[in-house]
Amino acid sequence: MQAQKKTVLYGFHVKQGAKMASFADYDMPLWYPTGIKSEHLAVIQNAGIFDTSHMAAVTVKGEGSRELLQHCLSKDLNSCVGLKKSALTEGKCVYGIFLNPDGTVIDDAIVYQLQPSKFMIIVNAGMGGPVAEHLQQSCDKDGIIVEDLTDLIGKMDIQGPKSALILKKIIKDPDLLFDGLTYFSFKGGLGSCTSSMPVEMIDGTEILVSRTGYTGEFGFELFVEVDQLKALWDKLLQAGEEYGLSACGLASRDSLRAGAVLPLSHQDIGPWPFISNPWKFALPWNEDGKSFSKDFIGADALLEETEADHTLPFAGFDPRKIAAGDTTSVIDSAGEKIGRILTCTTDMAIGRVDGEIIGLASGEATPEGFKPKGLSCGFVLLNKNFEPGEIIFLTDGKRKLKVEIRVDVRPGRSARRAIKTMLA
Amino acid sequence: MKELSELNLPENLRYTDDHEWTSSEGGTMKIGVSDYAQDQMGDIVFVEMPEVGDNFDKGDEFGTLESVKAVSELFIPVGGEVIAVNEALEDGPELINKDPYANWIVEIKPSDPSEIDQLLTVEAYREILKG
Repeated sequence: MQAQKKTVLYGFHVKQGAKMASFADYDMPLWYPTGIKSEHLAVIQNAGIFDTSHMAAVTVKGEGSRELLQHCLSKDLNSCVGLKKSALTEGKCVYGIFLNPDGTVIDDAIVYQLQPSKFMIIVNAGMGGPVAEHLQQSCDKDGIIVEDLTDLIGKMDIQGPKSALILKKIIKDPDLLFDGLTYFSFKGGLGSCTSSMPVEMIDGTEILVSRTGYTGEFGFELFVEVDQLKALWDKLLQAGEEYGLSACGLASRDSLRAGAVLPLSHQDIGPWPFISNPWKFALPWNEDGKSFSKDFIGADALLEETEADHTLPFAGFDPRKIAAGDTTSVIDSAGEKIGRILTCTTDMAIGRVDGEIIGLASGEATPEGFKPKGLSCGFVLLNKNFEPGEIIFLTDGKRKLKVEIRVDVRPGRSARRAIKTMLA
Repeated sequence: MKELSELNLPENLRYTDDHEWTSSEGGTMKIGVSDYAQDQMGDIVFVEMPEVGDNFDKGDEFGTLESVKAVSELFIPVGGEVIAVNEALEDGPELINKDPYANWIVEIKPSDPSEIDQLLTVEAYREILKG
């Protein structure tokens, strides 16, 4: 067995008394003694920080880099930014999928355009090597350099409505940083990943600040050189104390992202065609919904696919769950097996009021004194399509849990809010 | 996560290797989960309990505990009839995390009191936790 890998924040996790577990060969915190529920709610109401330095980075640079990514990524780099679908430019990033020729998933990624011919690609833990190799093999041009920077880039996330207020306290020129920092844009750089818009922390450390995350809530992904990560983590913990900042483990990261209908690579997307799922925005569909705006690896297979299973989000009626796995399944009201569970967790910030899903942050719809009990939610992979509102059942053979097919789960998410309103 | 030395394991209770505790009093028995169990599970968000009047044989599943992360089955340590369930857990499942011993889950009337003798003493339970 391969030895467990540790991130540079391992010492912090253990010292805090976190419950640790293996995730993609890294020994990672599931939760701290504060508990999952409190961590989940901290991100909804205040802010949370996550050690995400197990994730991997790959850089692509040199003339032809953009064309290589255009050939490999499931997003059209010339038409992907914002509602107007403008081209990816310096300071913008984009979410997409790297597919095999048969339309199955290698990994999902966020691609950052650092410079005209220089890109940083953030992929999942353990995927730096495979994605770098895939890009190299797909490249028929000289002069493009693909580098796997696994374990060389320090990454952490700060998520939640107070994130900007906290981050502001450690940045040299926060006004400059936050100006125009819209959802899926970034500023700054580090080490070999420099951009033309450097950002420094008050102590002069180089940092890349990205208006992205994996919780559905307002916040940032932060990148520094790996030996600077512990100092950044400690600074933010201290800066966030007055704002109710909490260190958060992978369990609350999972429950937050499931409520935000975001997929976990190798669990909700994987070795089956990336189609008939809730993530249509990750493909370069033309307005006709039948063709793509560009050609890329896997495109033909997806357009020809007619028998793909359907990946659908669901939410339950109380916090009860049936775990994903070989021993559980999804059945219809007649009791017939129709598929399997991909993810099933509990979003602790939501509950049902008269049948409707209400969140702690649903604004006027949230009743006074609302104390959500949590609802199970996640994704199922089914052999036929179901419409939102239809009922299916999760079962482990003994227990049978009624859940509803959904378009969305946790209402009132803050990820896209204007940064100005979050600094007020 | 708590170290073994940090776990609260009352001397006067009997335990099972499924990390449940029992306390016998006047011919009835309360059943809950140990400090170790609640610490391992993390925040408990739902407790599925049986009905009063349900009968179980030793080892039967009588309910489930749900944390955000996982579902754990509860097995009856001693056969018998359920005479009460802790209704406070329906609205406050987190009470088990706060005090797993004050917050019992079910109370039963054992059908075969000799089964009680087979339960673990605190010393034997502690040995199991040492692994």
